[in-house]
Amino acid sequence: MTVTVKMAAVIQKLTDNQKEFTADGNDIYNLILNIENRYPGFQSQILTESEEVHQFLNIYVNDEDIRFLAGLQTIINAGDTVSFLPALAGGQ
Amino acid sequence: MLRMFYGGNVWKSIVIIEIPIYFKNFIIEHAENDVPNEACGIIHSKNGQPSSIHKVTNRANSPYRYEMDGLQQLNLEKIRDENGENLFAIYHSHVATEAKPSPTDIRMAFFPPGSFNSEPMFDNIYYVLVSLAHDNADVRFYKINKGPSVEEITVKFV
Ligand SMILES: [Zn+2]
Repeated sequence: MTVTVKMAAVIQKLTDNQKEFTADGNDIYNLILNIENRYPGFQSQILTESEEVHQFLNIYVNDEDIRFLAGLQTIINAGDTVSFLPALAGGQ
Repeated sequence: MLRMFYGGNVWKSIVIIEIPIYFKNFIIEHAENDVPNEACGIIHSKNGQPSSIHKVTNRANSPYRYEMDGLQQLNLEKIRDENGENLFAIYHSHVATEAKPSPTDIRMAFFPPGSFNSEPMFDNIYYVLVSLAHDNADVRFYKINKGPSVEEITVKFV
């Protein structure tokens, strides 16, 4: 399925400064592998070595956080928008 | 740049910036309204001057930490592009501690968190802290740089 991928400004360097592009995948994990093929190094910034999403990285399918869907196994459909963005966060 | 060391690992900059007091008051009011939890938000700029300020939902819902709602974050990015604005500052409150970036705040200024040898996530933005620990709310501006080195910026509210 072809989806629109949106990258937050701070991680656009991972995708050759592309803010928005299309890519294929049947689920989020597969999409990440396909983006990695085009932009080597992408996957290691998004997933840990044990292939989980980095704790402070958010991935949304349309308006839903994949943590509240099926995580990396979340199915994506043609026309979906998948957004990648680091958390802006802190603690006291 | 001239700097003075003033304790902890924070440098105090001799550079003075002017910020309209509206922004300070907005941040204090937001922080007070969100007690007991930390409040957070984003300031945009136009031509180098702060131009708008936006509350962002703290999805951590916690007195000890904040995590900005990602979709609101993306939406503000879009608004900046449309309005020709830039990211100027990220603010958050400390309900019971000083207006100074905590070790976690500093770690999280880098992506992946704590990668202090690379450039911070955003270069050239301010991290604004508001403390509600004392009777008078205290609002302070910082820069967090590679290293990490943390520099407090002297602000004159006008
Ligand atoms: Zn903090």
